[in-house]
Amino acid sequence: MTDLPRPSAPPVSAPTPGGSNLDVLKHQFQQIWQVLAALALIYMVFFVLSEPFRSFDTLLSIFGQAAILAILACGTTVVLISGGLDLSVGSIFAVVGVIVGIVLAEYRLPVPVAVLIGLAAGALMGALNGTIQVLTKVPAFIVTLGGLTAYKGIAEILASGRDLSRFPENFQVLGSGYLVPMGIMFGVALLTGLFLTKTRLGNHAFAIGGNEEVARLSGVNVRKSRIYYYMIGGVLAATAAILEVSKLNFAMPARGQSYELFAIAAVVIGGTSLFGGRGGVGKTLIGMLIMQTIIVGLSYLGVGTSVQRIAIGIIIILAVYWDVWRRPAR
Amino acid sequence: MTQADTATPLLRARGITKHYGAVVALDAVDLDLHAGEVLGVVGDNGAGKSTLIKALTGAISKTAGTVEMDGKDIQITTPTEAKAAGIETVYQDLALVNELSITKNMYLGREIVRDTLFGHLFGTLDFAKMDTEIRALFQKLDIRITDIYREAEAFSGGQRQAVALAKTVMFGKRIAILDEPTAALGVRESKMAMDLVRSLKDHGLSVIMITHNMQHVMNYCDRVMVLRLGRLAAVRDVADVDGDTLVGLITGAAEDKVA
Ligand SMILES: Nc1ncnc2c1ncn2[C@@H]1O[C@H](COP(=O)(O)OP(=O)(O)OP(=O)(O)O)[C@@H](O)[C@H]1O
Ligand SMILES: [Mg+2]
Repeated sequence: MTDLPRPSAPPVSAPTPGGSNLDVLKHQFQQIWQVLAALALIYMVFFVLSEPFRSFDTLLSIFGQAAILAILACGTTVVLISGGLDLSVGSIFAVVGVIVGIVLAEYRLPVPVAVLIGLAAGALMGALNGTIQVLTKVPAFIVTLGGLTAYKGIAEILASGRDLSRFPENFQVLGSGYLVPMGIMFGVALLTGLFLTKTRLGNHAFAIGGNEEVARLSGVNVRKSRIYYYMIGGVLAATAAILEVSKLNFAMPARGQSYELFAIAAVVIGGTSLFGGRGGVGKTLIGMLIMQTIIVGLSYLGVGTSVQRIAIGIIIILAVYWDVWRRPAR
Repeated sequence: MTQADTATPLLRARGITKHYGAVVALDAVDLDLHAGEVLGVVGDNGAGKSTLIKALTGAISKTAGTVEMDGKDIQITTPTEAKAAGIETVYQDLALVNELSITKNMYLGREIVRDTLFGHLFGTLDFAKMDTEIRALFQKLDIRITDIYREAEAFSGGQRQAVALAKTVMFGKRIAILDEPTAALGVRESKMAMDLVRSLKDHGLSVIMITHNMQHVMNYCDRVMVLRLGRLAAVRDVADVDGDTLVGLITGAAEDKVA
């Protein structure tokens, strides 16, 4: 840049304060405090109502049960921020579980190899979802609805007539107990968060989800980026599947059913926009914790799973209503 | 400037045509942009002004037409190719992403990556460097926005337009194309935007500016082209026309005099 003459025009507006790191932090906190407050409030309610809920073990089990779905939901967060939607991640989860099961139980390959094969399968299925969309321009809802049933069918074919259980000891470590899955959950969330906020591809997810046309005109390779976001969603669904297969010590194609819906629910409860352009994995973790706290809390109060489902359904609608309501008119 | 420079336009477009199905949005329009000039493009709503610049900058594919830069044929089929040729564009209503901060908007598609092996491998962004460059530029242009970490939707129309224009100052190398830079701006903010346009020119860029404001044509443009119903109706030196004549050309009332 060479010197520009200083225009004699009056300022666009009065100087606006701000710009220090503290201002930036404050700005970020403003976007998350409401969901954090909601989580605290819900936790407090059950804390008051139920004696056994107050134990530390309960808190641990909330995190532990949230872990696998939260990992999957981190991928869903990326896809939704980019303005996409992947309804097939539950079925990707099933396929990966079965593949990893076969690799371990039948071919007896080393655990790291099995994990890598599982992650690659997830990446491939995610990439396929994205590629079909950008090539055919069929809406994400339809393409991934197709994926939901097609991948499920693949999982069933792969699993039929096979006994996929009793995996090696060193594989069972991954998903057992609460601590390892929780650690992996925080690791995945941290990496996904860094990806979204610190990298070029991650930032383009917000740009594409916010205004695809502006992103395209700015030189962003929208199609290629989209495929990457679906790939990430697939890899994280695979990660979650591997943890669950390890935890259960068996694999079957029925696993993962409706997981995509729970993931989307956690993402929107956390405050990531269904319309794209806004959100983050921190919010998704909080959203998942809100959901699990309600499920665990209600069961401590003796409320059955059917009523729990109704409660979650209402909360999802409220969360999306909030998303629509705060979205500025354009 | 040598004789050859004045003879060969910086940008020469011939027969630019765009069909949308049966609709002829643009019918064989010619355009010459000379080095260092501000070329106004005027015409009624729907005359094809935005279509013309979108076709020139690869935002849409053109049905027919050729473009030369410095007398040489050039193929611009994507916005990225236009940028590579030194053409920076502010599109109508498509300048900024509401959800992105000012910093991210300014650098969208051209982010500065950390200059380390890790940075190049994973595309990790150097926000500190981008912030510094933007603050320096804003200060130079007298754009008083300090909270550049805020999302673009938090700013007024004038501020947003100032950011969009600052982007062309930052990245424009040869040509700046502006689609209604003062649309929906107040008097003071319009003046500010137009001063930014003038500083683009002073910076050595040639400018194509679409506008509905005849005063801006008279005060800031060297030449003006008039589009009517997708066709080129007239090209004039601004020194040779007045506002009323221009309005006549736009509406077609002056049709006979043109021919
Ligand atoms: N995507 C599209 N599909 C069909 N027709 C289109 C499309 N885009 C533009 N047109 C038509 O092309 C013609 C020219 O539109 P254009 O946007 O270039 O006008 P304009 O001169 O920029 O008008 P304004 O002053 O309102 O911005 C109009 O008749 C418009 O309806
Ligand atoms: Mg227009």
